[in-house]
Amino acid sequence: MWWVADADSPSDAGDPGDGSADSVGSTAAADADAAGGPAAAGSVIVPVEPTSTLRSTIAHVAEAAATGGAPAIHLVEIASWRNGDPESDERAAAAERVLERAAAWTAADLDDSEAPGAADVEVVTAVIGADDYLFGADDYVRVLAEYAEANRADRVVLDPEYTPVGNTTLLQPLEFALSNTSLSVETAPVDRPTRRERFRTEATTGRLVALFGLSLGFYLLLGDPTYWFDAVTGVATAAIVSITLSRVSLDSDPAIPRTPMRILRGLVYVPVLLFEILKANLVVARVILDPRLPIEPTMNRMRVIVGSGLPLMTLANSITLTPGTLTVRARDSDLYVHSLVPWAREGLFDGSLERWTRFVYYGRRSARLPTPRERDDVAILQGDDATEELPIAAADGGDVTAEGADPTADPEEVTDR
Amino acid sequence: MSAAALETARVWLVVALTLFGLFFTLVSMTGVLRLPDVYSRAHTASQADTLGAGFGLAAVALTVGLAGAGFKSVLLLFFIFLTNPTAAHAIARAAFEEGIVPWTEGDDRR
Amino acid sequence: MSLADATLAAGYTLGDFLLVAAAGFAVLAVGMLYRAVVGPTMQDRVLAVNVFGTNTVVILAILGAALDEPTFLDIALVYALLNFLMAIAISKFTVERGGVL
Repeated sequence: MWWVADADSPSDAGDPGDGSADSVGSTAAADADAAGGPAAAGSVIVPVEPTSTLRSTIAHVAEAAATGGAPAIHLVEIASWRNGDPESDERAAAAERVLERAAAWTAADLDDSEAPGAADVEVVTAVIGADDYLFGADDYVRVLAEYAEANRADRVVLDPEYTPVGNTTLLQPLEFALSNTSLSVETAPVDRPTRRERFRTEATTGRLVALFGLSLGFYLLLGDPTYWFDAVTGVATAAIVSITLSRVSLDSDPAIPRTPMRILRGLVYVPVLLFEILKANLVVARVILDPRLPIEPTMNRMRVIVGSGLPLMTLANSITLTPGTLTVRARDSDLYVHSLVPWAREGLFDGSLERWTRFVYYGRRSARLPTPRERDDVAILQGDDATEELPIAAADGGDVTAEGADPTADPEEVTDR
Repeated sequence: MSAAALETARVWLVVALTLFGLFFTLVSMTGVLRLPDVYSRAHTASQADTLGAGFGLAAVALTVGLAGAGFKSVLLLFFIFLTNPTAAHAIARAAFEEGIVPWTEGDDRR
Repeated sequence: MSLADATLAAGYTLGDFLLVAAAGFAVLAVGMLYRAVVGPTMQDRVLAVNVFGTNTVVILAILGAALDEPTFLDIALVYALLNFLMAIAISKFTVERGGVL
């Protein structure tokens, strides 16, 4: 936790990792509070994003590494894209530029450092995790841990403003997840220029304008665009909405041609989805109106390959709208889907909705991929064909109805990943 | 002549859409009353009901005419298609977090 | 003259038919109340009330069309959004830890 690390560095003692190295580091750091990181024999990993505090974080890391004799500083960018997506090249290039700048800063700081070990510190940059979509802190930590393993690093220093996804509150979960690994973690004790609330994103002009346009358009659609009173109140309302909410309602800037293309492809998707809904509704209506009620409900798990945020929401909502399937829970890229009849389940596992979602958000080329069943990303969690146990939070008496008849409930499975 | 024929066609289309809407709402109600647990009820509540409401609102849009207030009906349709599955998801997720085990064949009715 | 005044059959207009349809929707919605009262879980009740709300929106819109009162559609719009908020808020607060959505 960065505020604890701010106050005193021995808080690292709470780390279950290599305690001995930590305590040595704490005493070494006691003389200079600014360089208050634990010095260790292994290399240091610094996840890099272009934040306002990156410069001072690097200064801190360089100084600590020079004093503590770390063999290398690894500047890594954890990719929030996936190789092969449209724009992945641009984003990778942008990441490279950030890394280059960070590496230049580190080299300059090491040159300036008067510590004896400064000349021996190597600076390495890398982009990691671009092979997969990463969801949440656990995935980031897994990628970091793999990288640390491969490069014999044992410490992670976090930039206090570090948020890889851009809009989520990832720093605290990241620190928590890191504390469960053998890596020691520290947040650089640097001054933050402003302490903004964490779950907001940057307020940019693009988002402000987009939200202003949307709200004004909606207002005038309901009112009368030619009447001056409606125009004035519309502008005022849209201004209030866009100023107060542009930081929470949009998580990325609208871009040309990406946003219009997505809207166009979305318009192609709508009739397809409507037809699917209609077709499947008729089948389910027959099942429900059947006097014998021939249903076989099961819970299923499906790992989907779409990005977090809007694409995942689109897919989950499409699955829910298509009769016979209901998205119950989205845990990272795993969707827990309740299916009413086996027919709906098979349709779900064929993954046509997933391909359509990828088409809408990433274009035609990205829509070609094996079905979830072929990828072996599916599991049935209940019934005779069950291949996995149901990860249900059967917590303290939360189950109001008759329970116990179902042996698949397992309270230990809550955090299976 | 042609205008009158067009109006007749529109009138009967409105009737048909309304009847479809009523049918799917009936399916939705039957499902909510008959199905064994909250998850399966959420299916019909989110899907059959959304479609029923969709047909109903399409009938309204056709009656009022898109030039007038009918686009509000289309807007309403859009909102319902967006919010209904989200609400159903939130409810089902709340049930899942509370630890309600989905009904499987052989369990008692709830 | 709006479409609601067009004659359907035997002197009855489309408006009359829509009024009857609205009554039908209302009857179906009342059936949902059984689930709202009986439950058995809190989520069942929220679900039933949510469906009830969606039906209310449709009834409002159909009445607006049948009686040629376009302002009913504005009310329906507000009602639809409130209905959504209700479902989200209650599901959020029935879970102890919060954090749904």
